[in-house]
Amino acid sequence: MRKNDLEKHVTGESLFADDINTPEGTLYAVVFDSPIAHARIVNLDISPAMISRGVAAVLTADDIPGVNQVGGIIPDESLFAEKETHFIGEPIALVIADTYLNAAIAAKKIKAGFEKLEIITDPREAFIKGKLIMPPRTFSRGSTDAAWRECRYIFEGKVDSGGQEHLYLETQGAIAIPGEGGRIRLISSTQSPTSVQKTVARVLDIPMNFVEVDVLRLGGGFGGKEDQATHWAVMAALAAYKLKKPVKLILSRIDDLRMTGKRHPYSSDFKIGLDDNLMMIAYEAVYYQNAGAVADLSPAILDRTLFHATNSYFIPNVKATGISCRTNLPPNTAFRGFGGPQGKFVIEAAIYKAAEELGIEPSVIQRKNLLKEGDIFHYGQAAKNCQAINCWNDAEQKFNYNELKAEAAEFNRNSTLIKKGISVMPICFGISFTNTFLNQAGALVHVYMDGSVGVSTAAVEMGQGVNEKIKTVVSQTFSINRDKVRVESTNTTRIANTSATAASSGADLNGNAAIIAAQNIRQRLLDFASGLPGYSSAVKPEIRDGEVFLGGEKTGLLWEDLILKAYQSRINLSSHALYATPGLHFDKETNTGNPFAYHVYGAAITTVSLDCLRGIYSIDSVRIVHDSGKSLDELIDRGQIEGALTQGIGWLTLEEVVHSPEGRLLSNSLSTYKVPDIYSAPKEIQVIFLEGSENDFGPLRSKAVGEPPLMYGIGAYFAIMNAMKAFRPGKVFGIDAPLTPEKVLTALYDKI
Amino acid sequence: MKKDKPDPNSVKGISRRNFLKGFGITTVGAAVFESGQATKNLKAAGLLNVSDSIPIEGAKMILYVNSKEYSVHIKPKETLAEVLREKLELTGTKTGCERGSCGACTVLIDDNPVNSCMFLAVDAVGKQITTIEGVASDENLHILQNEFIENDALQCGFCTPGMIMSSLAIIKKNPAPDDEYIRKNLSGNLCRCGTYPKVFQAVIKAAKG
Repeated sequence: MRKNDLEKHVTGESLFADDINTPEGTLYAVVFDSPIAHARIVNLDISPAMISRGVAAVLTADDIPGVNQVGGIIPDESLFAEKETHFIGEPIALVIADTYLNAAIAAKKIKAGFEKLEIITDPREAFIKGKLIMPPRTFSRGSTDAAWRECRYIFEGKVDSGGQEHLYLETQGAIAIPGEGGRIRLISSTQSPTSVQKTVARVLDIPMNFVEVDVLRLGGGFGGKEDQATHWAVMAALAAYKLKKPVKLILSRIDDLRMTGKRHPYSSDFKIGLDDNLMMIAYEAVYYQNAGAVADLSPAILDRTLFHATNSYFIPNVKATGISCRTNLPPNTAFRGFGGPQGKFVIEAAIYKAAEELGIEPSVIQRKNLLKEGDIFHYGQAAKNCQAINCWNDAEQKFNYNELKAEAAEFNRNSTLIKKGISVMPICFGISFTNTFLNQAGALVHVYMDGSVGVSTAAVEMGQGVNEKIKTVVSQTFSINRDKVRVESTNTTRIANTSATAASSGADLNGNAAIIAAQNIRQRLLDFASGLPGYSSAVKPEIRDGEVFLGGEKTGLLWEDLILKAYQSRINLSSHALYATPGLHFDKETNTGNPFAYHVYGAAITTVSLDCLRGIYSIDSVRIVHDSGKSLDELIDRGQIEGALTQGIGWLTLEEVVHSPEGRLLSNSLSTYKVPDIYSAPKEIQVIFLEGSENDFGPLRSKAVGEPPLMYGIGAYFAIMNAMKAFRPGKVFGIDAPLTPEKVLTALYDKI
Repeated sequence: MKKDKPDPNSVKGISRRNFLKGFGITTVGAAVFESGQATKNLKAAGLLNVSDSIPIEGAKMILYVNSKEYSVHIKPKETLAEVLREKLELTGTKTGCERGSCGACTVLIDDNPVNSCMFLAVDAVGKQITTIEGVASDENLHILQNEFIENDALQCGFCTPGMIMSSLAIIKKNPAPDDEYIRKNLSGNLCRCGTYPKVFQAVIKAAKG
């Protein structure tokens, strides 16, 4: 029970970036951004803002001492637009004033002239016009060309999935505090402290050791603060560096919604081939990824789409091609699942379409084709400790799938306007950053002379409970009470070269690093204890429940006494450790290798009710068997599963990111963008953890949990489709997520 | 922005004398702001003379927050959320959308939940304001706070203060709330981490005491 942290949250004591007391004289910054999605900047007059009340400075690209470049994977992104703007919301200047309001007023006074250029918002149009982020990528195995001849059935189709706003409730923001000698300290709401540090150093032309980034906690991240927290921190740092005053930059919600990227919308084509026994033997997909104006993390996200093209199924002949298309929208970015959900949605749609044509249930095809131990994924890795069939079978049996199906059918026979739909959604999600070098994490453990323990790692706490999991593994490694362990903020001066807390890997990488560091200290303590009077090296001492044991007997030497003695004997009570996931490799030329440490599996049965008169639906229940390995904390994991599920359902049902043809975000507030509220969350969520699943790569044999359950939400889409089918049996519906009530209604009736 | 250090004291209640002591002194200049409801409330409460208006540059007023009196300079256009966070340094109240859509800034005014980002601070003068900092008493957590912890009804914690304030209003107003009552009264609070089922459980358990 993560009581301590939770207590701060329920009393309002916990601090987020905007809550931290800033020094006297702190200035406030507001961004001036492009109002046109693609234009040449003809002129820019900042002078009216400069003389506006309270203004300390107006900064543009001209004020950057280093390079005007913040691109992560590909250097194609300016901090401030200079000659051309590429999306509405692209920063052009930064206004700094004595109050937020004065900065906002001054920003409105900036005069800029634009010459409009061609605006593209559709990825397929971008592809036709050759606007690509990078050359297309193809992952393939076997030969689809040859396999089509062996297929009894071949189906083709088109699938669209929309964007998704992160809506972390805490908006983006940072505070920059100048120190002596040109040093900058940043408090940033980022998932990636080192990205902030590195980019500040690049833009200010100072070494990284002049930049300190500290992160206490985030009010939600979901991927939206992996790459895109950097810009605001860099701007605050630039202003603090120039003005030698603390500067705070917190985006208002409306600015945040307009300026930051979302989950990538995809438009995809598929072709699927099955044999007489309904075994999928060939699958081709082309994914047009709407990347937005610059690369951001799009190439890595596209890779994960290709990795997860076949979800939980074994298909011997696969050809998956990803095309990252440059459009005039804000750069789309990481969002829980990182391209995986988009890939899985297409294969599930393909199976749905195949089943529809064949007049059978999708679950028949799904079940027959589930991955088995040793099956080779299309990227060359073998499925090990494969739990796909176990999860499916458990879900089918423990939740009485056949009975649920019969109940829904019976209900539908007796109900004209309300129809029930049911679906099964299996998942298989690879764990590790697909960029192999990122799979490392550092931890620093101090044992203080009173026996209390301080732990720093690279992990950022954003509600996923990683700090609590780290506390668990450290206290278990020492075998002391967890209350003795405190997890510190994430800070680049304590842990260098941090990978982002992303890819579900936070607890895995940092937990393992913390275990190594704690083990180092424990070993020193045991060696020391062996030399104490009355102890011998023949009988190994051990620490158990905060006390030293010798030959299985209590010695009366408590942890606190042991630590004090060790300190007085000048034993090193601190350790820094690095964990690097073993066995990972991936060849980016052939697109094969062993990119993942392991896979997470699961299966969800979703039941919905659809009001066919109004198009509205409710998610009645989602019943899940989930593979968490040997869970580190079932309560936390359950919360992650329920939360990710709700987000996944939101992505595919209610949440509709809409842009005008001019590239203007129309769903630009919470009144026009609907995220799940307490009514739209499933009425019932049951989670059963798969028994007997263990994992060599997770701390204490656990498995990562952050992203995989989001993809259970795909089940809601197809459950609603099934309910629609029950109302209009002969009608063929297109696949175009999100399936909003409005879309359902217009699809159900030929005329409205 | 964090000037005007608050001046809390434990004297209960608010008097017309105290209110007027601070107010009025700064009434200079011709610019006046008529906050319709605010002035009506103040006048109804006998805290403002019928002929008075609130000056646009603000005035010193008394806010009654979590059973404490705060003497604070308030401008008529300032929201209660701004005043609580920036002037009283009660940062437990969060602003998530500044548009009354997410509920993170929910506080109670005379036991009614309001979005403090959409509520003018001057309108809160003379009323009992309860924020998340005032829910626990004497080092003891409120039953709702305990149930939120026990039921793991929070993840990142950013929506939690607002969620608890809305929940508090539920159990204060309705000792035996049914499921629909709870859902309806929590429907204005968004939790992006998706803890709704657990929040729901926490409120049910707290209501049962």
